[in-house]
Order: sequence, then structure tokens, then C-alpha cells
Amino acid sequence: MVRLKNSKQLQQLHRQLAAARPAGRPAVAVCGGTGCQAQGSLSLSDAFRRELKKRRLSKKVELRLTGCHGFCERGPLVLVFPQGVLYQRVKAKDVAEIVERTLKKGEIVERLLYQDPQTGKRIAREADIPFYRHQQRLVLKDNGHLDPTSINDYIAIGGYQALAKALKMGPAGVLDEVEASGLRGRGGAGFPTGRKWRICGSTPADTRYLVCNADEGDPGAFMDRSVLEGNPHSVIEGMLIGALAIGAGQGFVYVRQEYPLAVERLELALEQARAYGLLGAGVLGSSLEFDVTIKRGGGAFVCGEESALIASIEGRRGVPRRRPPYPAQQGLFGRPTCINNVETWANVPHVIKRGAKWFSAIGTAGSKGTKIFSLVGKVHNTGLVEVPMGISLRRIVFDIGGGIPGGKQFKAVQTGGPSGGCLPESKLDTPVDFDTLVAEGAMMGSGGMIVMDSSTCMVDVARYFTNFLKFESCGNCTSCRDGLIHMHRLLEKLCAGTAAPDTLERIESLAETIRRTSLCALGTTAVNPVLSTLRHFREEFVAHLEEKRCPAGVCKELITFTIDADKCTGCTLCAKNCPQDAIRGRKKKPHTIEQDKCIKCGICRDVCQYDAVLVK
Amino acid sequence: MLVVYPGRCVGCRTCEVACSFAHASNGKPGPSRIRIHPAGPERFVQVTCLQCVNAACAAACPTRALRRNEVTRAIELDERLCVGCGLCEAACPFGHLQFSRELHLPLKCDLCGGNPACAAFCPHGALEWR
Amino acid sequence: MTVTVRINDVEVLAEEGESLLEVALRAGFDIPHLCHHPAVEAIGSCRLCLVELQAAGREELTTSCNVRVEAGMQVITDSPLVRQQRAANLELLLARAPGSARLRALAARHGIQAPRFEPPPSEGIQNCILCELCVRVCAMLGHDALGVLGRGEKKRIGLPFNQPAASCVGCASCAAVCPTECIRVSETPQARTIWGQSFEFAHCRSCGAPMLTERQRQFEIEKNGLPEDSYDTCESCKRQQTSQRFAAITW
Repeated sequence: MVRLKNSKQLQQLHRQLAAARPAGRPAVAVCGGTGCQAQGSLSLSDAFRRELKKRRLSKKVELRLTGCHGFCERGPLVLVFPQGVLYQRVKAKDVAEIVERTLKKGEIVERLLYQDPQTGKRIAREADIPFYRHQQRLVLKDNGHLDPTSINDYIAIGGYQALAKALKMGPAGVLDEVEASGLRGRGGAGFPTGRKWRICGSTPADTRYLVCNADEGDPGAFMDRSVLEGNPHSVIEGMLIGALAIGAGQGFVYVRQEYPLAVERLELALEQARAYGLLGAGVLGSSLEFDVTIKRGGGAFVCGEESALIASIEGRRGVPRRRPPYPAQQGLFGRPTCINNVETWANVPHVIKRGAKWFSAIGTAGSKGTKIFSLVGKVHNTGLVEVPMGISLRRIVFDIGGGIPGGKQFKAVQTGGPSGGCLPESKLDTPVDFDTLVAEGAMMGSGGMIVMDSSTCMVDVARYFTNFLKFESCGNCTSCRDGLIHMHRLLEKLCAGTAAPDTLERIESLAETIRRTSLCALGTTAVNPVLSTLRHFREEFVAHLEEKRCPAGVCKELITFTIDADKCTGCTLCAKNCPQDAIRGRKKKPHTIEQDKCIKCGICRDVCQYDAVLVK
Repeated sequence: MLVVYPGRCVGCRTCEVACSFAHASNGKPGPSRIRIHPAGPERFVQVTCLQCVNAACAAACPTRALRRNEVTRAIELDERLCVGCGLCEAACPFGHLQFSRELHLPLKCDLCGGNPACAAFCPHGALEWR
Repeated sequence: MTVTVRINDVEVLAEEGESLLEVALRAGFDIPHLCHHPAVEAIGSCRLCLVELQAAGREELTTSCNVRVEAGMQVITDSPLVRQQRAANLELLLARAPGSARLRALAARHGIQAPRFEPPPSEGIQNCILCELCVRVCAMLGHDALGVLGRGEKKRIGLPFNQPAASCVGCASCAAVCPTECIRVSETPQARTIWGQSFEFAHCRSCGAPMLTERQRQFEIEKNGLPEDSYDTCESCKRQQTSQRFAAITW
């Protein structure tokens, strides 16, 4: 790899590499995201390599191990080009057939196609699958098209062109463009990115820093992980453009400890960028000097909070600081520091490349561009989805998510992780937008979206998130640390049927204190799960409190498992599987559950083929 | 400036009582900062803080809780800054500062803010405030 | 730079950048506080020093210990909201440290007789409110013998690696500054026992009375480059010697 001395050389390299990858060229892209890897996609990729070699197709067909394709529910995923066919749930034993029929003969292997649960039709092209069709993939667009371990792939598809353009625009030009685009932070708070950059850049200092917040602590969220694993250069390019605009010489990527693959991909990407002279002194021959250091977190959710993150990088305990002063003015090592989320940085090259006008045409008046959500929970199509701001929750859950499996009813969608809230069916037409979600008592957050059905108990959900936050609180403030302890206890009592009559008032009073007197956003937003569920599902709380009843049939101390004698065929499957030996009955005769032995594990219900286990 | 005349001291210890009441806390008389020592037959020496120019106690204090009051020229204790380390007592070469373990504070002569009680009450003019 | 702020409609002068709480206390306003000490950096832990603050066009309910004074700030220290939330935090603290007389008295003054909460689970010291004053003061004194372990509900004050700290000199400043007096110190004429270690006293060379601990004495000698025989006489004997010297001058 030779240093690129200027933008012209970058253009030349791009043309060279692009020419070697003509559009019609056959290729196989195997998803190498962590999710698909867990399903065996690495050995799948090896199987393809061996098969292609066996058939002497290695030179003709490009094999790529790529980042996350997004349709995680259906992994391992394989995309075949040039047709753009998506094969799902691919196993090593399918490889020979794919190579023989699809790559050699151009035929489709029907059984590996996605099948629409509504129509029963099999859909061949990725672009036609509803899960993908309703998305607008900007940040994730290239995930299926490049090998994240190859900077040449990134340059071939136009990578670092935005940097070249930014260098020509100069800091003032870039600031104006980012501000005009309306890009708002994707980490949760939604602060206008351009404004943050401007404040940081205009604070007098000897040094300024950039930070990429890759702590991604929300349970169930894996958007940032997939961007770092699948397209690390997009983040590096965004940070370079930011460094130019703000006047920063050093950047940090703070990655949570639990993302080893993301760290590995990022380390490699940084090395490659340095080798090409895209990082370090004299970037692309300009006067910009910028490099990036990776810092790994230590396993604390609170270190995703910007001031605790700064403390952690400085080597101190991850305890937040009161703001003001804000990091943009006084941050890391006391210097002006611009902290942005992974997804925010990844958006920047698009803003520069295609312009603020183009970017701000996507989305709503207050929320421009797209947002990546990790759509999980009780929904058919779980995975990563990228949608334009303004799309309704209903379209995400039903058109993209494919609706609720098992014929169950939609109950709620939780957005914003532990800092967010739950919205009921009546709010499904709420457009995804920073401000409208807050108005409804929820929050965009970093992009976690958990779908819940009628088998979810909302009191249990409130208890779950409160427990998480109680565990993750840094413990500095009496209000947050002890407030959450006592609020969790009250919620536990509700779930156990032992709550005192004034429990709901006491929860609301504690919530007020936690919300109003905690130092940082972990504390002040810790009350959102319980307050939003109380707001939209109060009757469930009242049922737990006054009737000692769990309508969803979840809270163990409030439910009973019985066997419906009319439906039971006496197959003995439940009795055989009961870990407590609590089920009695003779073959072919209705069985009964001994209540004093039953631990409400639900295994009998899971194994029963006749729907004979009742939970009340 | 507090001028001390040991030759005039008769050992009545009125100064100690006056100081005690001048530094009462929670309604109880505090320990006196001025102490009378016998120095021979009918000879007594009053030992009290010399408000040293280069005060060893102030230098030893890690929180700068002992600071000169520019008006009275006394080295005063700012109680709020004291952390109870006791180094002032150890550092004073003259033994004026006594550290109280009950109060977690040193017992420091502050010249009563400019009107020392000991001098005001001494019946024999052995302590003079100028 | 001297600036003016308004506290409860009273104009108060302050140095820019000073702790708002310090300014208010100096001006005579009674704002309860437990984790604040002017000799160490504020951390805003206890949440009792709440005030309503209007600054730079923003209004907020905030702790005052960790606010740096700026010109034009307007502060209310005793509004119904402040009193309500202060009482709420006092109740939480009292649940954690019911054995502290000072905390009980402070809570009672705010209408809290008994907390409506069971004590939170704690693996740390009884009646500790986790204010970290001991940790901060010990660090300020140059010993750094105490630390914060764990976080959230598991947060406790303790010794690094749960071992008796090699850098502890047994000065007991931690116990002196503790707002709930929950650090146990026991003393005999020979030694002081604190944080699981026994510290021999240095004894007066004249009368043998215990003075500061020998470890603290050695620390000070080394830190300040003092002669080895420094701090070897008790205050009583020093005073006695002083009186003899004065007597020698007088007569």
C-alpha cells in the first residue's frame, strides 16, 4: 500500500479499484456479522471458498465476508450478485447446490428464499423483500457490499471521497453544511450535530479532541456494533471530516469491552488508513493531522454517558460530572471535546458527499435523515432496520417487522432502551421523530426497539428496566442510587402480590425525586420505563396491586398452571419434562399439576402439543 | 498585640476562666487556650499563642485552615476547613496548640477577634491588649 | 474577579468560580449539606444542598456545592420544591443511616421522623452514606488509603483490594470528617486501631504520653524533610518547657 499524497491519487485509486469490480461481476457475500457468525457463517464462508476452488471458480466469482446485512432473524444470510438474490438460513450443506445452480446456471434455489408469512410467496431479490423494501438504507447500505477488513473495498465504492471534498470545502464550509443538514446526534439526546461542532470549534484551546461513543449499553441494541464491524471506515471518515471542521488533532473511539470483533475490525481499519496516509500527519497531503486511539470500556453502562466516558478515558472511575460546563467547551483532559455516537459519525460522509439539501429532504421538519433501529422482541423479522425519520411505528413493526408471530396481539413497543418508554397500540401511528416520541413519554434513544405482545407483563417490564438501572447506577447520587433500590423493591412487591395500598403513589413520588434531583441523564431518565408503563398500562398495575392478578400471566407468584382436562390426551410429555416431578397422571388419562411443587417454569406449556396447559 | 507580663501574674487563673467562657460551644465552657504554669515560689508564667510570624502550625496545616487575620494579626482557625489531622499540635514548637479529640479541632487562640477576654479580665494587668 | 449573585433576593458578592454553596454559607444562608467540605472537590453525592438556580437563561433544580458561581446567577434556597426534594433525599439517607444522630436531627428538622423505607442492602460500613468525604480527604492528605468499591447498590467505601492499606498512617482524619461518625476508631495509650490496622503512637520523650501515630510522624518527617527527632514531645511538655524559658527570661 502506497501513501496517497493527494486527492487526485485517491481518485485514481478509486477508478482503478472500481474497474476491477464491474457491476455485473458475480459475487457471493456471506454475512460475517456477530449474529450470523454465531449461526456458523464463518464455516459457511470457508465452505464457499472450498467449493469455488473445487470448481475452479475462485477467479471468476468474488467471495466476500461482509458486515451485518440486517435481517438477523434469518441468518446465516448469503447475497448472490449480480442478481441480488438473498438466501436465508443457509447451511454448509447448501453451498454446493448454490454454487452449482445459482452461480453456474443462474437458477434460484427456492427453498432457501425468504417466504412472506402473509402471502406464502417466496421472494428472490433482497430489494423486493418487505423487510428491506420499506427501509431506506444509508448508513447500512454498503454492509453487504464490502469486506470490512479491506480498505480497498471501501475506496472502490467511493470511500474517503467525502473527506477529499471536505478538505476542499474547508472547516467553515463543512460546519455550514453539517449545520444546514439538520443532522442530530444518534446516541439518544438528539443534540444538533452542527451546533455541537461549532461550539467545540470556537472554544479557544491549545488542543481539541473528538470522541466516538461506541459504548452501546442499551440491552438489545446492536446498531453501533454492526456499523463498526461492517463498515469501520465510514466512522473513521466521519471523524476525519469532524476533525477538519473542529480543529482536533486526536480522536478516541470508546468501545465497550464486550465487542471484540468491532475492536478487531476497527484496529485493522485504522492501520490500513494510516498506511494510505489517510490518518496521521498530512492527511491526503493537506495540513490536517489526525489520528485515532481505541479505548475499551470496563463493563459499565454508565460509561456511555458522555462525562463518565470522559472520566473513564482519563483513567478515573466512570462517574458523571455536572454539566455545565459541557464537554464541547471543557471535556477530555479539560479541553473542548466533541463526543458523537457511532451512527452520527457514519452519517457525516453522506452529508458531505451528497449535500445538506439532499440529506435534509429525508425525514421530518425536526428530525432529518435516517435512523437505524435494532428491531427485536415479539416480532417476525428481528434485525437491524434503517428507516427515514417520520415513518410510523406501525410500519416498522408490521410492514418491516412482519407483525407479531404466533397469532398474538401487539401490546407495546419499547424505544430508547432503559432511558425510554413503552408506547401502546393507540400510539402506533406516532412518527419516529426525536420530539414526537418525547411528547408521547417515550424517547428515540440510541435505537433499541423492543416489540411486546399480550404475553408481556408491563409491570414486569418496568421492574426489569428498573433493576437494570439500579445495577448500572454509578451510585454517586442518593436520589438515583437509593431511589432506584426502593423503587425496584416496590415493583417487586407488585409482581409478588405483596404491595401495600399506597404503592403506586409511592412509586410516583420516588420517581419525581429521582427525575428531578439526580445529577446525570442515567438518573433523570431512569424513571421513564416505570412512568411510561404507568401512563399507558395503569390498569395492569392496578390489577397487580388490588386483585393480586397478573393479566399477562407472567408474574410467577400471581399465576397458576393447570391442565385443562378436556384438552389433555394423557400423552405424559409434560410429566416427563417437568423438572420438579410435579405432574401426576396415568397414560391416556388427564394429568394434574401438584401446585405445591410447581415452580412455574412453563416447560409443560412449551412441550404440550394440545394447548392443554392453562396459565391464569 | 497581646503583651504578657509574667512578673505581674499571681496565678489566679481568671484568664483561663475568661478564655473558657469566651470559647464556649453548645453551652459548655471550652478548654482554655491560655494556661498558667508555676515557675517557682509565687512565680507564674502565662503561656499563650505567640501568633508567630512564620507560624509552624499554619505551615503544617494541609488545608490552610490556620490563616492570619489581617486586622487582629492572630492566626485564626477556619473550622470548616479543618480535617482533624492534628499536625498543627505536633508542629507548634511551643506547645500552644492542643488538639481536642472530642471536637476533632485544635484549640487555637484567636485573640477573641480583637478583644481578648484574658486581657479584659486579668485583675493585675499581667495581660495587656494594645 | 468579583461578581454579584442574588440569593433569596439578597445581593451577595463572590469570587467567580467559587462553589455556590460556599458563597451562600458564607453569606449566612443555612443550606444543609453532608458530603461537602471546602478542603476537597465537591461531588454532589448527598443531594441535600439543592437550590433553584437561574443562570444563562436556564432554570434548574440543582445541587449548589458543584456549581461554579458566575455573574448574574439567581438562587432560591428555600422554595417549596427545594424543601420537598431535600426532605425526600433526607428520607432516603435516613433509611441508609438510621444510626446517625446528626442525620436524624437534620431529618427531623425537615419533618422526617422515620423513613418509610427498609434499609438498603449494604456490604459496607453501617450508617455510611457513601459521601466519599473520607476518601477525598485521605487523598488530599497524600495517603490515598481509602477507595470506593463497586457501583450503584453495591457501592461501598473500603480499602483497595480489601487489604489493610500500606499507605494509611492512622491519622483518623477520615473519622473526624465523617458526617455520620460511622468510622470506628479505638485507642489505647499504646496504639490506635482503625481500618483493620493497629498504629503504635509516638510517645513523648519526656513524659511518655501518646501523641500522633509513629507512622504519621514518619510520613511528615519524610514529606517535609524534617529532622528525625521532630514531633517527639507532647504539647503539654512543650508548653512546660516554654514556661521555663519564659521564666528564665523574666527572672
